[in-house]
Amino acid sequence: MADQSKFWRTVIYGVLFLVAVYYLLPLYVMLTTSVKSMDEIRAGNLLSLPLDITFAAWSKAWSSACTGVDCGGLAPYFWNSVMMVIPAVAISTVLGAVNGYVLSKWQFRGSEVVFAMILFGVFIPFQVLLLPMAQTLGVFGMASSISGLVFVHVVCGLASTTLFFRNYYVGIPDELIKAARLDGAGFWRIFFRIILPMSTPILTVTVIWQFTQIWNDFLFGVVFSSIESRPITVGLNNLANTSTSVKEYNVDMAAALIAALPTIVVYVLAGKYFVRGLTAGAVKG
Amino acid sequence: MGALAIKNVTKSFGDTHILKGINIEIDAGQFLILVGPSGCGKSTLMNIIAGLEAPTSGEVHIADRVVNNVAPKDRDIAMVFQSYALYPTMNVRQNIAFGLETRKVPKAEQDEIIARVAKMLQIEHLLGRKPSELSGGQRQRVAMGRALARNPKLFLFDEPLSNLDAKLRVEMRAEIKQLHQRLKTTIVYVTHDQIEAMTLGDRIAVMKDGVIQQFGSPQEIYDAPANLFVAGFIGSPAMNFIPCHIAEQQGVIGVALQGEGEPVFCALPPRLAQAGRVGQAVILGLRPEQFDLAGAGNGVACRIRIIEPTGPDTMLFSQLNGRDIIARVHPRHAPQPGELAWLAPDLGKAVLFDAVTETRLS
Repeated sequence: MADQSKFWRTVIYGVLFLVAVYYLLPLYVMLTTSVKSMDEIRAGNLLSLPLDITFAAWSKAWSSACTGVDCGGLAPYFWNSVMMVIPAVAISTVLGAVNGYVLSKWQFRGSEVVFAMILFGVFIPFQVLLLPMAQTLGVFGMASSISGLVFVHVVCGLASTTLFFRNYYVGIPDELIKAARLDGAGFWRIFFRIILPMSTPILTVTVIWQFTQIWNDFLFGVVFSSIESRPITVGLNNLANTSTSVKEYNVDMAAALIAALPTIVVYVLAGKYFVRGLTAGAVKG
Repeated sequence: MGALAIKNVTKSFGDTHILKGINIEIDAGQFLILVGPSGCGKSTLMNIIAGLEAPTSGEVHIADRVVNNVAPKDRDIAMVFQSYALYPTMNVRQNIAFGLETRKVPKAEQDEIIARVAKMLQIEHLLGRKPSELSGGQRQRVAMGRALARNPKLFLFDEPLSNLDAKLRVEMRAEIKQLHQRLKTTIVYVTHDQIEAMTLGDRIAVMKDGVIQQFGSPQEIYDAPANLFVAGFIGSPAMNFIPCHIAEQQGVIGVALQGEGEPVFCALPPRLAQAGRVGQAVILGLRPEQFDLAGAGNGVACRIRIIEPTGPDTMLFSQLNGRDIIARVHPRHAPQPGELAWLAPDLGKAVLFDAVTETRLS
């Protein structure tokens, strides 16, 4: 019996290891390629370790690689994305939390219908929104600006964030709200003093989700931006598609890593809360 | 002076009528129990008193003031919930202080109140802990502490003991009673447990289907239940219901009870023996303790099916007039299953119900 279970355990770990390697291989290739020189890339093999580590490609990707006609690297795009993602995540998360609080704890006549309509927003393909959204941004005078992108991401993210918070808050007993009302607390006081302090897991989930969605978005970034307001995903695309005499794989790889870095950092910092948040409802029952 | 008066309160959701005209009035310092099976509307009534739900019609008076349009926080009430509803991110001290803070009680006074309440409930050593670090009984105490800190006109308890294990429940029940005797506050207490209702209440309102079936003192409700439902709901084991006809034999009015053998004619006490009722189909209500074991040839011969010794008493399961009955007897003389026992019903405290309307005949 013991031998048999040990055998199967070994098999399971073996399979897991192979799958992990399979998933990590692209990252390995990107990392090693980004620190190789072009000569080494031409001479060597895709999987070989770098002989001579150089960060020249990183530096070029950051500050001097050409994206189309202008050659300032990814840096301006990166800061555009930062300027876009921080307010967009903050606003959509806060609004989602308040929405979820109202839809779960302060239900009004028709609130279920409102929730169903918001839920519908989760399933809408964003391509459908492009034209009407462009008109809306024009009317508001926010076309082709970072604030316009923030607006688009807030509107499109609200459905998900509302859903997250509403489902989390449904699990909080109504008696807590009743007790707080009898204690003399009103709508906002209950929200800030009772509900929000209980929301750490779902706040983390929502922030990670929204950050990843907005940072990695390409569609809105390419449609609703101008030269000055392009986010990093568009910059990366332009960088990789700008053809010069030679294809600089190391610069492309470094640029892709730069573009992916913030989401990786967010996952590493908050990842354990992410898993905890996703399973919190199940455990509390 | 009326501490709480509920006048013609109804509550409906569309065509569903939860409460159908509730009238209750209690004096200051009384302990009112709302008891009934789940779905009877008792929790809705509690929420209406608290102001968490609005009645469809009718009036709620607290301390002689109509509070229909008064917000819960301004009704001068405090409530203890079934789940205790302690704020999970705050420690015990903050939980008790929260209501004082929102009411802008000065800090020094808050500390004084918390110290007094904590001492009274013996939770001083728990003030720094989070609710998740407390046992069920401790949470219960903190929930009561939070209510006590506010010193309200009216306390509402919503099934506060139903989440505790049996032993702790008995302990906390006694503590709540002691607290009430010491503080002389007015309490409204919702429960589905008839023992809690009997042991705690000054006044009991037995509810079913949104209607108060009977409103009175525990003893009144026990001795003179208004109808079959109340009679069956209050008391454990439940009252025995024996169908029979009122008859007259040689000038005596009584009922015939049949166990194993010939029917035995038992005379009704004068208050029940009205000539006009002869021939009427009734249900005789006899509490289990209203049976005695008699010597052979006296009382009604019954075949004992099961016995349940509880220690102080032994329950005998048998049949009378084809209906299952339970008799509570002293264990020393208890017969064995399968034996024939002679049960002498004491009709002195018996009640009669109309077989059709199920209401008690006076």
